[in-house]
Amino acid sequence: MSDRFLCQQCILPSTFPGISFNEKGVCNHCQRYKGEDATVALQEKYEQKFLKLLEERKTKSSYDVIVAYSGGKDSTYTLDVFVNRYQLRVLALTFDNTFISPKALVNIGKVCGSLGVDSLIIKPAPQVLRKIFRTAATQELYSAKTLERASTICTSCIGMVKGIVLRTALEKHIPFVGFGWSPGQAPVQSSVMRTNPALMQGTQKAILKPLLEIAGDAVLPYFVTEEQFTQKELFPWNIHPLAFLHYDEQDITERISQFGWERPNDTDPNSSNCTLNAFANQVHRKRYDFHPYVWEIANMVRTGVLSREEGIEKIEPPEDIKMVAYSQKELGVD
Amino acid sequence: MADNTTKIRTFIFDNFLFDAEEDALENDTSFLEQGIIDSTGVLELVDWLEEEFAISVADEELVPENLDSVNLLSAYITRKTS
Ligand SMILES: [Zn+2]
Repeated sequence: MSDRFLCQQCILPSTFPGISFNEKGVCNHCQRYKGEDATVALQEKYEQKFLKLLEERKTKSSYDVIVAYSGGKDSTYTLDVFVNRYQLRVLALTFDNTFISPKALVNIGKVCGSLGVDSLIIKPAPQVLRKIFRTAATQELYSAKTLERASTICTSCIGMVKGIVLRTALEKHIPFVGFGWSPGQAPVQSSVMRTNPALMQGTQKAILKPLLEIAGDAVLPYFVTEEQFTQKELFPWNIHPLAFLHYDEQDITERISQFGWERPNDTDPNSSNCTLNAFANQVHRKRYDFHPYVWEIANMVRTGVLSREEGIEKIEPPEDIKMVAYSQKELGVD
Repeated sequence: MADNTTKIRTFIFDNFLFDAEEDALENDTSFLEQGIIDSTGVLELVDWLEEEFAISVADEELVPENLDSVNLLSAYITRKTS
């Protein structure tokens, strides 16, 4: 048994990389936190920045924004925000990792229909993805820092999502890329940001290298090409509206139910679209002795979006055995 | 200059590499290509630069030429503070 303990304020555990505590049991991240007022002022500043960009960059000949649409709660709300709050023409791109819950697929259809949004679903051949997930389940592929924020399986999947969304934006000349990152997943400072081609190229290499070793050239269609990296003027702005808008889980769930969205009953408490997530979490928890969602949930506890008890409820219970077993069987691993 | 290099290395180890060995990072290793820093990590880095060296980092300065290794960062800080 480990003698793991949690920060008295935000729930980050003593097993978290690089963590330290003061004599009151409060972690270094909480000690650095500047308070809610600072956050609200910044949120307003970033929404204004986005509105100003919209005036300059709205196009006639293509979509205004392409959204990485998983069918989960947060990205559904993100679609709603772009359509109804900002009146934009949206393309919803769904990367079906072959583990999307059947109920989430129903949600995707209903929500896009109800919001009047074009939907593009890319579902890679299962063989390729499963080879990647199987390898990620048995060995580490990424740096220590990456693992603070997500499991190895999740990081592989999200790397492909980011790649294919950016690639599609470049191909279709779409000026904005939208993500439904919750305020815990991405800081408000990153909520309105021009994609820097050179930075992106470096980041892509780090994700792509292990995937190429596992699956070969089959993964290349999900990433930006060398030639595209030279088309600097086409690079879109990344927008994460949930980081600069008020975020309340219950309000969001109520709001999106108007568009036909229903919470799937076949996913774990931290995902509202993916049936692989419970297994990915379990592998990570066993490997590192902390929950891969604890970083984002601790951020939400620290900033008052969730209570400490709600946070603990999301990360402490063991993963659902049945869901873990389902993924293990599908992937053919123990 | 030498002083900045030590500060940068300490920051990178404390916040990105954690308990890795000292020789896990050469001063000209690319943070991005090695996956040491990603796009969110860049913001963490900028926060630290602004606080530690009392400089302001403009959006257009967020390029690998300024930030993508201990040596490049050190040179950037020298330019900004001289
Ligand atoms: Zn804390």
